[in-house]
Amino acid sequence: MARTKGYPEELDKKLRDTRLYNEDSNPEFTKTVEKISMTIPHMCYQCGTCTASCPSAPRSSYRIRKFVRRALLGLEEEALTDPDLWLCTTCYSCTDRCPRDIAPTDVIMAMRNLAARRDIVPVNFLKTVQAIYSSGHGVPNNDVNRAARMKLGLPADPPTTHGFPEYIKGIQTIIDHYKLKERADKIIKEREG
Amino acid sequence: MAEKKAKKTTKKQEAPKMATEKKPAAKPRVGVFICHCGTNIAGSIDIEALQEYAKSLPDVAFADNYQYMCSTPGQNKVMDAIKEHDLNGVVVAACTPRLHEPTFRTASKEGGLNPFRFEMANIREQNSWVHMHDRKGATDKAKDAVRIAVAKAALLEDLFPKSVPVEKAAMVVGAGIAGMQAALDLANAGIKTYLVEKEPTIGGRMSQLDKTFPTLDCSQCILTPKMVDVGRAENIELMTYSEVENVEGYIGNFDVTIRKKARGVLTPAEAEAKGIVGGGCNGCGDCDEVCPVIKPNTFEMGMKPRKAIYIQHPQVVPLIYTVDFDTCVKCGLCVEACGDKKAIDLEMQDEFVTVKVGTAILATGYDIFEIEKKDEWGYKKYENVITSLEFERLICASGPTGGHLVRPSDGETPKKIAFLLCAGSRDNTGVGKPYCSRFCCMYSLKHAHQIIEKIPGATPYLFYMDIRSFGKMYEEFYYRIQDEGARFIRGRVANVLEDPVTKNLKVMADDTLLDRPMNLEVDMVVLAAAVQPTRQADPVRKLFGVSCSQDGWLLEAHPKLNPCGTTTAGVYLAGVCQGPKDIPDTVASAEGAASAASIPIHKGEVELEPYFAQCREEICAGCGMCVNLCPYSALALVEKEGRKVMEVTEAKCKGCGTCGGFCPGGAIYMQHFTTPQIVAQIDAFLLGGEE
Repeated sequence: MARTKGYPEELDKKLRDTRLYNEDSNPEFTKTVEKISMTIPHMCYQCGTCTASCPSAPRSSYRIRKFVRRALLGLEEEALTDPDLWLCTTCYSCTDRCPRDIAPTDVIMAMRNLAARRDIVPVNFLKTVQAIYSSGHGVPNNDVNRAARMKLGLPADPPTTHGFPEYIKGIQTIIDHYKLKERADKIIKEREG
Repeated sequence: MAEKKAKKTTKKQEAPKMATEKKPAAKPRVGVFICHCGTNIAGSIDIEALQEYAKSLPDVAFADNYQYMCSTPGQNKVMDAIKEHDLNGVVVAACTPRLHEPTFRTASKEGGLNPFRFEMANIREQNSWVHMHDRKGATDKAKDAVRIAVAKAALLEDLFPKSVPVEKAAMVVGAGIAGMQAALDLANAGIKTYLVEKEPTIGGRMSQLDKTFPTLDCSQCILTPKMVDVGRAENIELMTYSEVENVEGYIGNFDVTIRKKARGVLTPAEAEAKGIVGGGCNGCGDCDEVCPVIKPNTFEMGMKPRKAIYIQHPQVVPLIYTVDFDTCVKCGLCVEACGDKKAIDLEMQDEFVTVKVGTAILATGYDIFEIEKKDEWGYKKYENVITSLEFERLICASGPTGGHLVRPSDGETPKKIAFLLCAGSRDNTGVGKPYCSRFCCMYSLKHAHQIIEKIPGATPYLFYMDIRSFGKMYEEFYYRIQDEGARFIRGRVANVLEDPVTKNLKVMADDTLLDRPMNLEVDMVVLAAAVQPTRQADPVRKLFGVSCSQDGWLLEAHPKLNPCGTTTAGVYLAGVCQGPKDIPDTVASAEGAASAASIPIHKGEVELEPYFAQCREEICAGCGMCVNLCPYSALALVEKEGRKVMEVTEAKCKGCGTCGGFCPGGAIYMQHFTTPQIVAQIDAFLLGGEE
């Protein structure tokens, strides 16, 4: 279907036909998302309970309802390339309240998995991978935190890999098995040089 | 006279039964008729191949097919073939026997055969429809079905239905608008009707409503004339403050025991029977004034006080006070105040009455779902969150506030009111109800109209997913309310928060049409809560042997073609107990149920299918183990020729087969489902037609 009139790039972008066409839908995408997420986005009736429960929605352009709709319609490109996909805090409020008993959070997680397979991941998420690889923590301990813990009478470092650094090796083995760190390093290098 | 008739029919049917048992059965000559049902069957089953196969079966004398066997030409084929080919068994391979068994039984009968010589093979619902894309498999399965049916048809015997007389009386359980309408219809058709209501007054939910959509009639104004009619109708025996305790019997002859709960007050008639001339309760209310016990009035959703001796509201029928013995302290002040009328008896006990009725209608209605279970909306947590039924009482002129809608927290008039539709309905989480409660959209529109009308400057906000305005003049009503200024927000409310100081409420929803989450501050929230069957519906339905669907609504015999009937002959459903209905649909359903319930009564007798258990007395050892097993109390041990044998009360027997399956001596056999017939069917299936 011709959606452009062959204008110069800038103009073409502006005047491009953005209507929904049959070929935009990929029914396989719906099935794949449902398989990974183990939930039922095809049952969504668009009531908006998820978005209204979402702590991210009032402060961003992230609309969980829209992503569930995309899962239902099989709008793969639109879902996976939308940077909003990464604004979910995974608080599970939507999952808690969805009247159709869908787990929208898990739909988002499935889409993130699929996006990651295509190397569509924001750098900050990849840096989290690096942080976990080096310290065992997505958010490693810091001096402010250490002081606060001491004040409460707790050891400065928690009984995690911070307290037992010898276990970091195990975490690294798992990450290496999936070549996660390797890919993260590669993508970050490509983007940031 | 009725007894005489029953005896006569028993005699008449014994003669041919003996004949079939003694005379060696004629050689079976079965005719097989295969229906195309348009393409419903022919689309996935090879009819020609099936017919050829049928012809090859033993005992088959004739086989034919037709586009629509149920049509007149189709039935004529059956009738003609019976005569032409001297058939003594008929098999029609078509749809489910629930649809057309009666059709082909009649055709067989008109062809000169006993109607119970007919057997149906279901090759549509259980075959072509489920194996639509497997022609070979479906055809093979149809061959199995036909072979099995032929095996049974070859062994079928002549049977004769039994007629039982029908008591010319009916019972209606529940006296809301459905029960009242059904009782009035029955009574007007000349049938003595017992109307049983658990509350002290009739009227039900409808009497709690202020106005009705879409006409905006005052609910009580259109209801009270009917209440008065019910109270006055000669053919209606009103039993308020009463519950069904036990049910025995079968269509035409139900013995229903009613518990008349002790209400502590005598009616004028009861007083007169006790020799108190001119006494009994006249509803003066002198007792009410002196009673020291104060309790919440459930009719007003607990928002208004009542005494331990009370009436629910001024328009009650019958106008008789009731003592709430759970809270009464028996101080005796009311007895004193009542004086010479001597209407109050604080030592009154529950009474049991048994009445005989031919048919019964259940109209047990609905309750509001416990909406506090959905804790995100804050009902019972925030004072200004109320249910729609509480709203009805608050906006009603005879309600606790005289019709002034006020906030429960401070008595102020709310200006911004949010209505939360689908509150607990269309909910698949397991907490709420998966179904649509069906009338909440419309009454919420009506609520919006009422506040615009009563409170200057007030704005209703309706949070909805879909507005279901399906009835006559309903969509027009929606248009009108939107024109009057109601705001519609297409989004389900995620949660409600309370401002602890002002007690205002913050409604969180997604305006899905704008694609923007919103936080709307309102003065009051009204939850259009889901409805569910009443607590009493379950025990009552069990007494009458009626099933219920997964969500608890009582189960009709067929959702489209028999919505008022049940699988228990002689028991019918009216109103919301069968599923959510608005008032017009409830009244229509009640009239349907009344009509259905009056048919057996007017016919005077009902025919029972002759699938009774039979006892071979010469084999019966009289052990009596079957007697206790029978779920319908149809069996008894009797003394015959000096020994004990089992006897079946055929009218009570439902042919379930429990006794026949258990009998250690094999003395019991089930008519139309005899052991030889069933074994022949199993053999036909397992042996694949090979001898």
